[in-house]
Amino acid sequence: MSVGTGLTGRHDAGATRVDGGAARTGGTGPRSWLGAVRTATGGMLRHKVQAFVIGMVLLVSTASATLGLALLAASNSPFTHAFAAQRGADVALTVNTAKATSAELASTRSVRGVTAATGPFAVATIQAQFQGQPFGQLTLAGRSSPGGPVDDVVLNAGHWPDGPGQLVLNGTPGPGPGPGYGPGGPQLGSVIQVTGVPGKPSLTVVGFANSITSTADGWVTPGEMAALRAPGAPLSSQMLYRFTSAGDYAQIRADVAAVSRVLPAGAVAGAGSWLTAEARAGGNSAIMEPFVVAFALIGLAMAVLIVANVISGAVIAGYYRIGVLKSIGFTPGQVVAAYLSRVGWPALGGCLVGVVAGNLLAVPVLHKSAGAYGVGSQQVPLWASVVAPGGMLALTMLAALGPALRAGRLSAAQAIAAGRAPRTGRGYAAHRLAARLRLPRPVGLGLAAPLARPARTLVTLAAVAFGATAVIFAVGLHSSLSRAAASQELTTTVPVQIQEMGPGGGPQGPTAAQTAAMTAALRAQPGTAHYVTLYGNGVKVTGIAQNVRAFAFDGDSSWTGYGIVTGHWYSAPGQVDVNTAFLNASGLAVGGTTTVNTGTAQVTVRIVGEVFQPSSEPRLYGSAQTLPGVATSQNFWQVDVGLRPGTNTAAYIRSVNSALGSSSPYAAVTPSGGQFYVIAIALIGLLSLMVAIAAGLGVLNTVLMTTRDRVHDLGIFKSLGMRPGQVLTMVVCWIVVPAVLAAAIAAPAAVALNTATIHAMASSAHTDVPASFTAVFSPARLALLSLAALVIAAAGALLPASWAARARPATALRAE
Amino acid sequence: MGPMGQQHAPGAPDDVIRFDGVTKSYQAGAPPALADVSLRVAAGEVAAVMGPSGSGKSTLLNLVAGLDRPTSGTVTVAGRRIDTLGEGALARFRARHVGIIFQFFNLLDDLTVEDNVLLPAQLAGTSRRRARARAAELLERMGIERHRDDYPARLSGGQRQRVAIARALVNSPELLLADEPTGALDTATGQEIGRLLRELNAAGQTLVLVTHDPALAQRYAARTVRLVDGRVVDGRVMSGQAELAADAITGGRA
Repeated sequence: MSVGTGLTGRHDAGATRVDGGAARTGGTGPRSWLGAVRTATGGMLRHKVQAFVIGMVLLVSTASATLGLALLAASNSPFTHAFAAQRGADVALTVNTAKATSAELASTRSVRGVTAATGPFAVATIQAQFQGQPFGQLTLAGRSSPGGPVDDVVLNAGHWPDGPGQLVLNGTPGPGPGPGYGPGGPQLGSVIQVTGVPGKPSLTVVGFANSITSTADGWVTPGEMAALRAPGAPLSSQMLYRFTSAGDYAQIRADVAAVSRVLPAGAVAGAGSWLTAEARAGGNSAIMEPFVVAFALIGLAMAVLIVANVISGAVIAGYYRIGVLKSIGFTPGQVVAAYLSRVGWPALGGCLVGVVAGNLLAVPVLHKSAGAYGVGSQQVPLWASVVAPGGMLALTMLAALGPALRAGRLSAAQAIAAGRAPRTGRGYAAHRLAARLRLPRPVGLGLAAPLARPARTLVTLAAVAFGATAVIFAVGLHSSLSRAAASQELTTTVPVQIQEMGPGGGPQGPTAAQTAAMTAALRAQPGTAHYVTLYGNGVKVTGIAQNVRAFAFDGDSSWTGYGIVTGHWYSAPGQVDVNTAFLNASGLAVGGTTTVNTGTAQVTVRIVGEVFQPSSEPRLYGSAQTLPGVATSQNFWQVDVGLRPGTNTAAYIRSVNSALGSSSPYAAVTPSGGQFYVIAIALIGLLSLMVAIAAGLGVLNTVLMTTRDRVHDLGIFKSLGMRPGQVLTMVVCWIVVPAVLAAAIAAPAAVALNTATIHAMASSAHTDVPASFTAVFSPARLALLSLAALVIAAAGALLPASWAARARPATALRAE
Repeated sequence: MGPMGQQHAPGAPDDVIRFDGVTKSYQAGAPPALADVSLRVAAGEVAAVMGPSGSGKSTLLNLVAGLDRPTSGTVTVAGRRIDTLGEGALARFRARHVGIIFQFFNLLDDLTVEDNVLLPAQLAGTSRRRARARAAELLERMGIERHRDDYPARLSGGQRQRVAIARALVNSPELLLADEPTGALDTATGQEIGRLLRELNAAGQTLVLVTHDPALAQRYAARTVRLVDGRVVDGRVMSGQAELAADAITGGRA
């Protein structure tokens, strides 16, 4: 008998070639030692299927780990990192150019404490129109390039203006893009009309960019600025500075004072600091972090689980060959080295490809997360691209080392016996039960099989459970955030608002005639179902040191649809609703009373409800009657409008604006929702898809490995008359029981995870949430979503099942 | 007329196996495992296939059983050409017409003796009641009915081979193929199995036996087909019977 053809004398194409190595086995010197190991490894690598499985597992796991680590890094103080990377401006100084020359502005670069400065950039505030509708005011700066020693603007789409009539907007393209943009906002190529200046020039959007501290709403070429300045408006420029010390508002004030001292009196018109931008971004970042971290950890845990399972299984499957190697003289050390090498080379290949794949996958994901965190761009940190493959490779070696060391200690006979011994004592009861059930035999055989390899089955179950949990969690989170978005932005109940959009308004608010015009315009529309005027002003509330923003509704507001956390919307005089920040600041609870000083009156109010309005600012809502002095024209905020079902919103807005006239400073618009929810929902979808795919690939790999382990049994089944369709059914059924158990685990886990995440996000946003935000899983919906486990498992098992079904019986029977 | 002077005769109507010019190659450029083999086995016959290691014995058996496909030539078993059948049809054919006994038994360790024997009947769609009755009958005939609820790991080699024989017969196949049926057994046990096979043949079972043991072939087979390097070199009828093989065998000398 020849080892090269297997102990049975049967031809085995994958047999270890050890002819050259065997002669040198146990020989002197490291070269002969390594030579034997190298020869054995080369023979083993001819097992293409196993090498492919190992490589594939490491590819998917390393990509998942890279992406997971990148997300964790991206969620760790994203604003701080982006501010440093983009050389954010500590202070953006607006200067009256008529009072300070360019030389004087240049001299501010050498003021003590200034570490870098750029500018002056001409700035102008324009009134904009988009698609014929008022688009609000935009502050534009003329810059010839996005880069610089301060405020390195990151271009996210398109190109920087390089000619007349071109505009780059601060933010991301739609739908629902950027701060201040509503749904269906500007895209690349959109035209923004500038009103209020001679000639009403048009600007074409050629790009979207991010200034970490939003030093401008948009940028044009320096030569464009002259045409954008409204007649009579002051010539303004912008200087951007970084200082040695700018850690708090006191230092910022001192820095601004130092610069102002070298400029003529009255030259400084205003100053904005990075602290404001950080506070805004930090809110979003804190809200995003819980679910980003949740997905990152799921991806990492799954990667570790799958690698450990597949690698240890691969070594154990090779015990027979280990016995053969020892029988021809391999030392235990050589055996261990050969097996570590056997799994190591394909694992290394998988890791290298996986880290590249992870970096590529991270591009769209980090693009979305950057938008949500309000930073210019995020990249995979270098350390993640080292730690992920290094960690996975180390895990591979660790998973292989245990079984390899054990095999090295076994005698040749023991290793051969361990590799060929029948599996005794496991799964017998399951097979007996399956045989008694009146199920098609292939189904029964498949359902019972997993119990013969309980450890591998558990790991597969865990992988499917992770994947299904991610999918169900993602669907729930999508629903929860959609409800939060609708509740916060009132997008479904208040699809139209009338706001002050242009000149002619002012601090005194709408005149009686303007108010009458708005009312008449709304009443004239057949689509108008409800409308109510909202007024807002700061008030003092007993027990709260800071100003409280009070909103008074002049009319029926019961239809506006504010999300109620607890209690109810006010329904009688003397009742108010408040947000969570109010309750936290005041120490009161729903049902309590407090005293409100509106400036013109002091009233006692009863808190009847807590509303969902994420903000660190305490807010209070009541009727104009309950809050006297708030509902005055100078406190005009907006008119909320509800539409009849079936009314076309865009057409309605056009009709109202037509009725109001183009000279009116007040116009109907769609509410400007922030991009946070849109980006968060998109990110959730992307992450859950990746986790589900990784889980499916994990199942594929373990089923492939099991199929390969049981290929001889498959040959027996085929020789007894099992048809290809029956083989496929049996192999798919291997995964059914683990998948059903995984579904039973995933469903409650996802519900709990969704609830915990929503509450964590809400806590970061200084708010509680209505119970409806987390009650997104009806029993029927949960049951349907639980099928995700079966889908993931079946998808992963189908390919190896097809391979098993197609394999020739003779080939399968020859396998060991 | 063949190169050995044999006359080619048309296949007899009761031929269970018929190979016509069958060649099987595993690798292009390498010598074929079987080269231009033509062969007949009649119903009720016991044919032994012998040859040194690598001569193509197992390949021939695999082709008869439909476990593999020829590279060229035709294979007809139980009156049906099987070289053109798809995998599904081959599986159905195997379940109904061919029983296979392997050298190392190839029993399924997770299943009891009874479940092992039942499996081919279940795969063929036989009713539960009929399958169990047939299994019980075979287990009793093989003398292992008391082991019906045991697992293969607890049985001796001879007992396992008896289980394998019972399994091979559960669907009452026209043809029984045995690949080194006594190769993993001690002499005494091997003789027991040999006697069992002869009893089956005496009852009319067609049997093809692959063996390297000339004593086994001489004792139990009416005819021996010798293979060397994939070619039939001798298809003599043993024990003084008429040289019927000369009518049925073609192929060049090694």
